[in-house]
Amino acid sequence: MKKYITILILFVFTIISCEKDDICIEAITPSLVIRFYDNDIQTETKKVADLTVWANGKDSIYINQELDSIVLPLDLTKDNTLYKFSSGLIEDEINFTYTLNDVFVSRSCGYKTIFENIQIDSNTSNWLKDISINNSTIDNETSAHITIFH
Amino acid sequence: MKHQHILLFFISILVITTVNSQEKQDTIKNIESYGIRIGIDLNKPANTFFQSENKGLELVSDIRVARNYYAVVDLGFSERTTNEDYMNFTSKGSYIKAGFNYNAYKNWKGMTNEIYVGLRYGMSFFNQTLNSYTPNVKGTYFIPITVAPNTEFKDLTAQWIEFVFGMKVETLKNLYLGVSVSFNNMINVKDPDNFKSLYVPGFNRVFSNNKGIGFNYTLSYLIPIIKKKK
Repeated sequence: MKKYITILILFVFTIISCEKDDICIEAITPSLVIRFYDNDIQTETKKVADLTVWANGKDSIYINQELDSIVLPLDLTKDNTLYKFSSGLIEDEINFTYTLNDVFVSRSCGYKTIFENIQIDSNTSNWLKDISINNSTIDNETSAHITIFH
Repeated sequence: MKHQHILLFFISILVITTVNSQEKQDTIKNIESYGIRIGIDLNKPANTFFQSENKGLELVSDIRVARNYYAVVDLGFSERTTNEDYMNFTSKGSYIKAGFNYNAYKNWKGMTNEIYVGLRYGMSFFNQTLNSYTPNVKGTYFIPITVAPNTEFKDLTAQWIEFVFGMKVETLKNLYLGVSVSFNNMINVKDPDNFKSLYVPGFNRVFSNNKGIGFNYTLSYLIPIIKKKK
């Protein structure tokens, strides 16, 4: 009888499942980094007064802030994201298009998406005078991908 | 997780020793059996029974080549689905482990129990299927959708070395109950493109430092071939 109990205990021990012991510390899906520069002196950053930013049909990410750089997430379910930027009461929009590429990171982080071949499909220029793409591949957030002159 | 398993391992050793110490030794033999011992791992069929997505079977065998040395060969196959925070994948394949055990336990007359240390070389051939994943995104402004590519990465291989500590106890005549823990070191592993071999049959979960751990509970039967006097 005792032997059966032993076997039973062994079974129970083996069934107890493992718990996670690692956490995700690597970089995951990057966002789009935009810096604002002065249109007159194009080497100097210039803060935007009363900046409000939102994706078409969604809540605002920034509301009435004074900033010279912003970080915007891109939509992974489509190949474009339409963002609206307003400074005070003047509004502009930029439609970003890109190709999605899923890259394996690690067990705990899973996959991240990087955005390749980013382009500006269309934009209005009421207060955004000029836009330039610094880096068409978005795989990190260390430097600005897009520069906007205003 | 490791601590818990190590604790359980030692508890089960205690249980086995307790049971064994209560065995009555009526007769004292002066001869020892040399032979082939074959058995199965109890862990894997139990998992198969309780978790339908996991299947597995492992056959263990050893042959006593010298007084304290046993040559060991284990064969097995396993299919296991792992669910992580951002993905779900299945590993399926077979493996072979070969090596030896050195019995460090001085038996009383007529007893053939073992407390051993051992070394194994393991080899696995497996496939890994990425069932689904969700791109990992900060925040909740845009919610990513889970994709199910069901990509099967075939012909993956792994080789590793195991350091084994364990014990075997003769519970009934020629019937042995064993527990062991193995510390696995990956030598080389073939990773799929844009993915990683995260679970290798036989090696078990591949930790980020390419190490692994295994627990075995075995039931084996000794087929005596030669009887030698001590």
